Order: sequence, then structure tokens, then C-alpha cells
Amino acid sequence: MRPFKYTNTNSSSDAINLLIKNPNASYLAGGTNLIDLMKEDVEKPNELIDLTRLALTKIALLPTGQNGISIGALGKNTEAANHPMIREQYPLLSKAILAGASAQIRNMATNGGNLLQRTRCSYFYDTAMPCNKRNPGSGCAAKDGFNRMHAIFGWSEECVAVYPSDMAVALSALDANIKVIQPDGKFRSISIHDFHRLPEQQPELDNTLKRGELISSIELPKNDFANHSAYIKVRDRNSYAFALVSVAAGVVLNGNRIVSAHIAMGGVAHKPWRARKAEALLKGKMATVANFELAAQAEMEQAKPLAQNKFKVAMGKNTIVSALSMATKGT
Amino acid sequence: MEEKNKAIGKGVSRIEGILKITGKATYATDYPAKNMAYAVLFKSTIASGTITSLDTSAAEKSQGVLAVITHKNAPKLNLKGGLRGGALLQSPEILFHGQHIGIVVAQSFEQATHAAHLIHVEYQKKEGKTDFDKLLPNAEMPKGKELADLVRGDAKAAFENAAVRVEEIYETPIEHHHPMEPHSTVAVWEGEQLTLYNGSQIINGAQTAAASTLNLKPEQVRIISPFIGGGFGSKGGQWANLVLTAVAAKMVNRPVKLALTRQQMFNSVGLRQRNHQKISLGASKDGILQSLSHQTTSHTAVDSEYLEPCGDCSKIMYEVPNSLISYRVVPMNVILPTYTRGPGKSTGSFALESAMDELAYKLNIDPIELRLKNEPKKDPSNGKPWSSRKVVECLKEGAKAFGWDKRKAEPGTNKIGDDLVGYGVACGTYPARQRDSSAVIKLTKKGNNVNATVEIAASDLGTGTNTILAQTAADGLGLAMENITVKLGDSNLPPAAGSVGSVGAASFANAVNDACTKITDELLAKSGKQFFVRPTAKDLMISENVSAFETRADAKAPTQADQYSAHSFNANFAEVRVNALTGMVKVTRFLAVTGAGRILNPKTARSQIIGGNIWGIGMALSEESIIDPRWGNFATRSFADYHVPTNFDIGKLDAMFINEEDKIPNKMGVKGIGEVGIVGVAAAVANAVFNATGKRIRHLPITPDKLL
Amino acid sequence: MAHNNTPLTEEEKKLFGDLMPDELDEVIQTGLKRRHFLKLVSLASAGLLASHLIGAEQLFARAVDVDVDVDVEDPPAIAVENGVNVSFRVNSINKKVLIDSRMTLLDTLRERLELTGSKKGCDHGQCGACTVIVDGNRVLSCLTLAASCEGKSVITIEGLAKDNELNPMQDAFLKHDGFQCGYCTPGQICSAVALMKEAKEGQASYLTQNIRNQQGSIILSDEEIAERMSGNICRCGAYPNIVAAIKEAQTGKDIEQTWLFAG
Repeated sequence: MRPFKYTNTNSSSDAINLLIKNPNASYLAGGTNLIDLMKEDVEKPNELIDLTRLALTKIALLPTGQNGISIGALGKNTEAANHPMIREQYPLLSKAILAGASAQIRNMATNGGNLLQRTRCSYFYDTAMPCNKRNPGSGCAAKDGFNRMHAIFGWSEECVAVYPSDMAVALSALDANIKVIQPDGKFRSISIHDFHRLPEQQPELDNTLKRGELISSIELPKNDFANHSAYIKVRDRNSYAFALVSVAAGVVLNGNRIVSAHIAMGGVAHKPWRARKAEALLKGKMATVANFELAAQAEMEQAKPLAQNKFKVAMGKNTIVSALSMATKGT
Repeated sequence: MEEKNKAIGKGVSRIEGILKITGKATYATDYPAKNMAYAVLFKSTIASGTITSLDTSAAEKSQGVLAVITHKNAPKLNLKGGLRGGALLQSPEILFHGQHIGIVVAQSFEQATHAAHLIHVEYQKKEGKTDFDKLLPNAEMPKGKELADLVRGDAKAAFENAAVRVEEIYETPIEHHHPMEPHSTVAVWEGEQLTLYNGSQIINGAQTAAASTLNLKPEQVRIISPFIGGGFGSKGGQWANLVLTAVAAKMVNRPVKLALTRQQMFNSVGLRQRNHQKISLGASKDGILQSLSHQTTSHTAVDSEYLEPCGDCSKIMYEVPNSLISYRVVPMNVILPTYTRGPGKSTGSFALESAMDELAYKLNIDPIELRLKNEPKKDPSNGKPWSSRKVVECLKEGAKAFGWDKRKAEPGTNKIGDDLVGYGVACGTYPARQRDSSAVIKLTKKGNNVNATVEIAASDLGTGTNTILAQTAADGLGLAMENITVKLGDSNLPPAAGSVGSVGAASFANAVNDACTKITDELLAKSGKQFFVRPTAKDLMISENVSAFETRADAKAPTQADQYSAHSFNANFAEVRVNALTGMVKVTRFLAVTGAGRILNPKTARSQIIGGNIWGIGMALSEESIIDPRWGNFATRSFADYHVPTNFDIGKLDAMFINEEDKIPNKMGVKGIGEVGIVGVAAAVANAVFNATGKRIRHLPITPDKLL
Repeated sequence: MAHNNTPLTEEEKKLFGDLMPDELDEVIQTGLKRRHFLKLVSLASAGLLASHLIGAEQLFARAVDVDVDVDVEDPPAIAVENGVNVSFRVNSINKKVLIDSRMTLLDTLRERLELTGSKKGCDHGQCGACTVIVDGNRVLSCLTLAASCEGKSVITIEGLAKDNELNPMQDAFLKHDGFQCGYCTPGQICSAVALMKEAKEGQASYLTQNIRNQQGSIILSDEEIAERMSGNICRCGAYPNIVAAIKEAQTGKDIEQTWLFAG
């Protein structure tokens, strides 16, 4: 790690001011990804502003009139996954969080930090390799290299990396909003769908946060599929591995008819991939495996796999079917 | 006689266990030293070429840096001193990606790590040999004499004339040992005496290699290695990092600690090479083997040769009149491969035992039945009688215990929900050998309390050496285990073989047992008395009122041992569940049945076996290191990419031992279990996956994508 | 200053007399001190203790409590950049230590506090060997900056034994051979101890069926134990034994160890 100044504050405005003052400063939350990347010399801040003493940890109902729940950005993943309100009303989120990493990491990682995880592309991690995300303009080693784990949707010539979070896949299916404090102290709200971005010509930008902005909370609107949701993560081993493909599914049912389906995928794109086409096809249909297959097929037909990840197309389809079947059976 | 063998054969808990559960077991980097400096290695980022410029100035100026050592200022070392893998900073030449090119030594670990990022290197690149698939057609004959073609009869003609044939290619990828303790060393010089705290599977081997490489006499180097955080072959031979720590300590005139990073473990301490194996089996309609060819192509380093002997199992497993075992090799700009758990046998058995399963399916014979039909009466490779061979018992007892009769012969027909269930079987073997080892027993008596110390430069990397030696000495001396102290893991102790190739238990326990016999004989002689019933050493210490007595035994394998073919054998049974939609596999049950002679301690022996099984499950399902041929680097570079099994990957495992008395390979009748535990495992899992899904995966690992 | 003046038992006296006869009188008079313990450890490290240890668990357990350091000696000024003074509790003892801001909790424990039980297996949060318990929760000390530990309470493997008794989890690991080489063991045991708290609180896992149905304390199945322990890699492959040990520690009931013989 490069030498850095360590600063600790319990005031979010102080934290923001410190960060704005130093273009090479970074926020530090759980540290599970940032410290890792600093050890690799991928992230090189010369100042860390430790946010873990900020009071942004609460999980609470949103004010009346806005049905839903607010999750403090600096609360730990474990607390979010186990909070009684989340388990009861957003079991999909609990399951997704619990599919990620290990118990130790979930005890450290914050909810806001989870949103800011950087890709696990091994070329991004290896400073001897070209990588447009780490070193813009240096090229993408994965595009024609070891890209088994990489994107099948929304990639660009510049970057084929995937975003590794499980939590955010559920947040996408749940249409979460990310509330941030701006440098002027005012709040703004960003839809989860607009929070992460596709790589396009600027893969160095993972998300649409502006310099100095600090995530204060994640807001979940009320949903009608708490009793019909599922998260399935397909991976190379049975635990503690990043997803090859994951699917978060929530289904609102009227009898056996689908009122609406909410499907998001992980491990397939630079952001959580909302399967809108499949959702549209399922609306109003009967909840049958045949219909799930048709919808999943239509979604995955849009995929553009790379040389080594063609399997993700079939795997994605099967996993959507599997998640919808499980969701329909009841949570 | 009941008094004897009180300890041996009992499932005693590890005697050093208390230190391990309290965090007090001292591995190499746990040794404190005053004024310690910290060293970090930095590595080449090309696979082949020459360093043309090395700018270390920024690193040298970085705060806390004590020295930057490269080929420009490193002392001259003996390149033929017995270390593996080169990379000793003796020249600017680069032979593989990730070759050590220098060391930063600093006041703190943080400072050294940071400074290592400040080194700037320029290279003259050469085209590297980095693409195994492209190099495959140009494979060469290996240099090693033991790797020459082994021909019996006419395998080709017999194959072509056989009624039923299987001919397939089986691929196993590069794997890494990844012991949990990365290779690490603390080097302390006192004048011209060097102490190296360093996990070493072969204590004396580490000592002589370090001494020779540093141009020192062996007695100037002491290896201290009471605890080893796993090795699995990678800490058998020693690598450059051992000696470079000593070099750094000499240059900064302080004790130095150097631990490889996990990432550096991929290209510093060997690997299990990729193997391309072609098996051709020909059989009669009733399943009698007529022909067996096992042709392996592997890679090795460009400057040194190592091949794991994939054809070994095929040499001896089955009665077959026509056979060809061959090896070809492609040199690559990749670190030298080395012994990796069950070298050759684990990977070779995957090919052979998968092919046997394919043959059984073609013949419509139960795979156990096929093996029983081809059981050899003597070693088919050399005509020697078996010292013992319990394959039939392993298969029969295992089938009973596992519930083999519940297996559905037709693949893909056993379904529970979305899961396909399958059963697989495969056999394995590993040679039983005893190597020269010496042990000293020291007896002391206070009142009527007799204690013994056993001294031997053996190693215990989790194999249970400490415990079995205490058991052996207790029985050999007539003492209780709590009166035995075992000293091992120090090159100042009497020289011994290593914990490699399953020779540890046989070599160490026989040395201790011989020393026990000898000390008893000497005490008897000293007493000048005749006894009707032979007294124990303990009895004699008391009856003859001896306060202290010691002796040393230098043990060797029995002279008749090489007139027999001596091996451990096993049969492995796997039950898998494969999710039909996602392709994820879980080994839900596994049973290994092993005939390995006398089991000194069933508790630690069972752990060894299930540990080997878990290695085999990792080999079957998830472990793979991938080279990017464009640069020759490992694209898999961390535990996030290289998937060793987690706790949840493992279902219910059982170990069964076949009672077997075999004193031919050694007096104690110990055949070894460390290696055989992995042999046959990957094939049993792959065969179970076939039984579950009807998909025959011949290219490990069986990741979910291959089953869609 | 935390003294430990509990008189030695007869068994401990015998043990101590065998191992360290020169120190026996002193220990009897003044109690077990850190220096005695360190010597005991050095004997153990050289392989000298061996089976004496079968009877030495109590002594070790007690000795673990003997640390009395408060202020940790500063390293040379040159070795520290962006120095941070951290005060925190480690194994129930207040420690004050000056560290380089870059120093992880793991390296601080190992290189500065003489607590080398916690192990560095990967240094990147991918193996669990460095697991310690911070404020009651298992975390990875390799990804935790020591600077961020101000005011926190850290329990390491060295601090699990209490009142001269090993933690039941430690006993269970020994009995069930929940390790081979032992390198991952401190992390496994810390992880398992914290898991007991998680089970008591009814925390969910990826395997939890019907996650909306919340219960209090839960008894973990073998599968649940295995999944929840998957953040601790054991390369020797002691997993089934680790599961058995945790099961025994959680239920308090003897779990039989089985190995089969036939033929």
C-alpha cells in the first residue's frame, strides 16, 4: 500500500469536505474491497476518510406517505440481511446478501460499500496487464483473453467486466433508490437502475456518483412479492465464490396468473441486468414452466457472449426458469 | 503380550493439538527476532527475455528501505545446489512469467511492499512458449530414463483386434498446491552460522540445498520447522525464496522475514502440470482386458525437467497382456512443475479409471465387476509378487457399506426434484516404501518415573507424525504416551527422510521402533541377566536403576522388500447430485476404502484419507489454473479465481480401512496413506457425474458450464 | 496489571517440574507469569512438550490470560509513516500502540502485539485464516486497518480460553481432529465461536428455508454449519471434522467419531 493519511470523522459534512479538498482522497467504509485493491496497488489514495463512525446505519420505515423502508448506507450487510423488517418484507434482499462472500465479509462490508464494489476481472487486479478500467487507454485484456466470468450483456470494446455484487441484483429487482448526500449538503435520489452504468467508452466509471457524494441510504419501495421471490446464484463452487450467473426474481401472482414479474441478473453485465423483455412477456401469463422458458429464452436471445462464456446464455435461461419456479412456489 | 501395542492402533488425538487450538503452534513467520527486517519479492512481468534496465532508485529512496537486491548486486550462488525452479537473481535472463527478479528489504512489511511497487523494469522480450495446446504436436521425448516407453506385447495390434474399445483423451489442468501457509522464511545469521525457520517437508533436504546454494557447509545451516502449514509437495523440494531470505539477511545484517504472497504462490513454488492423456482400452466381449495404452503429454520448465508419472497406475492396476505406457513433454516458459499430492497417480487414475468406467458402460457390465474380472495375481509390470493387495476387498466391502446396489446403471434416471443423482467408483494405488532414517531415544529415570525423548529430523505437516511416533515409542519402550516427548522438525536432530511420497510414517516409525528395540537390547546386555519374558526398556531402567540411557538406530528398508511389489490400494465411491438446470455439482457422499497395511492411528489416518478425498473432489470439480498465452501469466491469480473446495462443497465422507498385515515393505507393516487418499477420487466423482447426467466430462474440472 | 496467582494444582506442579524444573519454585511462589509462559511456548515450539501436553491444557489455558502489557513499545521512527495511535482492547487487555496507517489489524497483532496465533493465509480476504472477533462479530483482520479499531474489542485465538478453561470449541476441535497442519485452525475456531452467537441470535444463511419465518436461537444442521463456515478455507481438508466439532460444541452432546475397519 502507498502511504496515506488516515482520518476518522463522525460528521458526514466533514467527511465530504475532506474528500473535496483532496483529489486523491477516498472514503473508507467496510474496506473489504478497497483495502484489497490498495494492497494490489490498483487503488492508490493518499488519504482515507473512515466513514464507519457516521450515524448512517439505521434500518427504518420511510416516512408515512412513502411506503417502504430505508437502509443506512453504513450499516453492515449482516445486519441488513437479518433485520426483521427486511426478512419479512424483502426476503429477496436477505437471500441475495447471504449469497455473497462469507459471514466474516458480510460482517464488515457496508450496504453502501457493497454498491461500490469494483469488478473482480483478474486483469483489472493485475497491474502488469492492460485494463481500461484501471488504466484508461491501456486496452482490455479480457476481451480476447480469459473471459469466462465476463459480460454477455451491455459490454463494449473497451471493457467486458461484470459487476460482482449479489445485493445489488436484488436491489435492482426491488427497484431501490440510492439516496446520496451531495457536497452542498442536499440529498439526491438515484434509481438503482441509473446508479451503475455500462462501460461504454468510460469503463473507469463504475457508477454515476459524482466526486464527493456520499451514499446515505438505500430506499426500498413497498412491493407485493415478498411471499413470491427467490435468489439463485450459480457458481463454480457451492459457497464463497462470485457468480457465474445469478438471478433475483419476484412474482406478483393473482391465483396462478402473473400480475407482474421482477427479474434481475448478476454476473452477466457491468451492472445488475434487469430482464425487462422477460418481464414484459410474463405479464398476464400463467405461471407455468413453459411460459418461464419462453420468457427466459427471449431475454437471453439478446445476449452477446464472448469466446469463453457462451455457456452463460443457457445458464442464464435455466437460472431464470429455476428462480421463477422457486418464487412461484412461495418464499 | 497384551501390555504391548497399547498405544498403536488407537485413535489418539494429536499430541501437538493443544498448541494448534490455542494459537501457540509456531510456524516459520511466528518466530520473533529482535530487529527484524521485512523482505518482499518482486517478479518479472514477461515470460521470456532479458532485463535491459532495472530502475530501483525510487524504491531505494522510499522511507524505511534497507536494500534492494537484484541480479546486479546479489551474491554469487550455486545454481546447482539442489533448489528447485531457479529464479535466484543470478542473471537478467527471464525464463517464466513471475520469475523473482528482486527483493526489497525494509524496516516494515508495509514499507517493503510499497517500495516493491516502485521498481521500474524494461525488458527485451522473446517469444515465449506459453501455449500448451499449440506446443502439443511438437512434444519431445523426456530426458528421464524412468520415462522411456514401457512396452509389453503389442498394445496397438491388440487394441485394433479387440471386440470392445475405448479410446479417449483426458485432460487435467494446471493445479496449485496452495497450502494455507504461504512459503515463508525467517533467516537469522550469527556470524557464519545460519538459522532458517522454514516449513520443510524434508528437513535435511532443505538444509543441504540451502547450504549448497549458499556455498556453505551443511553444518553451518540449521532448519527449524516444527510446524508446517501444509505442503502437499510444494514444501518437499525447496525454492529460491528460502535462500533469498538468507541472502537478504546477510546483506542488511539483520534477521529477515520473507513470506510469499498468495498471488506469488502461483509462480514461485511449483505446480501440478497440465496433462494430456490418451487412454486406449481394448477388451473381449466378456470384459477381459486385451490392451491398455496410456500416453501422456505434459509440460515442463524450459531449463529443467519434471514430469508427474501419470502412467503409474496403468502399469499395475489390471491384468493385461499388451500394454504401452509413454510420456512426451513440451518445455514451456512456466515455473517448473513439481510433486503435487498423489503425483501422477491422482491425475493418471482420473484417465485410467474414467476409461474403465466408459468400458464398463459399453460392455454393459457393472464397473466393479469389470475391475474384479481384471484383477492381476502379480504385478503385471515386473512379474513380482504383491507384498499385499486388497483391491477386491476394497471394492466388495465398499460396495456393501456404500449401498452400491442402489445405483441405477442407466445414466440420468435417478432424479430428485431438479437434481440428478449418480454413483461412481474408481480405484487407486500408491507405492509403499521405507527410506533411510535415524532416531535417537533418550531415557531418563527419576524414582520409578521413566520418561523418554524421541529425536528425529522428521517433519509433521499435519500428517500426524508427532502422534504416531509417540505411540510407537510408548509401545516400543513399555511407557505410557504421556511419558514420551517427541522432538522433530530440526536439522540438528538425527537425519531422516521426508514427509513426501507417503514414505514418512514407514520411515520415521520404523526408525523409532528400531531405536526402541535397540535400546531395550542394550539395557538387557547392560544388565547381564537372562529373562524368561523379555522386559521392556522401562522395566529395565527401573530394575537396573539406570538414571539415563540413550541410543541411536539407523533404520533401512528390509533387504527383501524389493523382491516384492508393495503398494497401498483403494476403492473410492462417490455419490453426486447435479442440478439439471444450473449444472452445479455437489458430492453428497463419499467413501474411501483403503488397504494400507497397519493403521497406526485411525483418527489421524482417517483425517489423512478424507483430506486426500477433498483434494480429489477439488481436482474433479473446481481447481484450475489458467495461463494467458499472450503473456504467460496466470489469469487465475487469487483464491477468488482458484477454487479450492470450501466446507460446503463437501458432503458426508467416510473412511474405511481393510485389515491388512504386511511386514514385507517394512517391519512395522505400514504402507502409507498420505498420497493414496487422493488417487482415484476425481475419477470416482467424474464417473458419478456420468451416472447422474449421462455426460462424460474428460476435461477437468467439471464446472457447471460443462454440464449444461 | 493482570496477575494470575491461582496456585498450581498438583498435576500442574508435576508437569512444570518435568518441563521447567528451574522455574518451579518461582512459579509456586509468584504464580504463572508471562515469561514462564513464553518459555513453555518455546519448549513446545521446539517439539519438547509433545505428549506432556495431554495434561497441560489447563496450564496453557491459564497462561493465555497472563499478558500484562498495556503500552506497546514503539518501533523506530523510520519504520512508521502516517503514524496513528490506537487504543483498543485485545483479549480483554487495553493496548495502546503506535502504528503506520497502512498496518492491518492482522499485522498489528502478529508483528507488534506478539499475538501470532492469527494467521496470514492470503492477505486479501479470501481464506479466513486471519479471522478474529471484533466487538462480538467475526471479521477478517487482514482487511481491517488497525487504525479503524480505536476503542474496539478484539478477541483472538489466544483470548478464547477463560478462567483456566479452554473454550468448549477448542476442546471439540481437538477431540474431532478438526485440523491437520493447524494453520487455518485459529481462524476456524474464532469463526466457529462467533457462529455460535449468530445461531443464538437466529441469524439466517443462504440455506435458510422460509427466511421470512424468524425464530430465536437455532440449532444448526451439518449443512448449515458447513455453509456458514465456508469463509474459512482448510486446505488439508478437515471440513467434516470441523462440522462435527461445531455440532458437538453447539449441542453439548457427544458426537461419535467413526472410522471403519473391514476384511
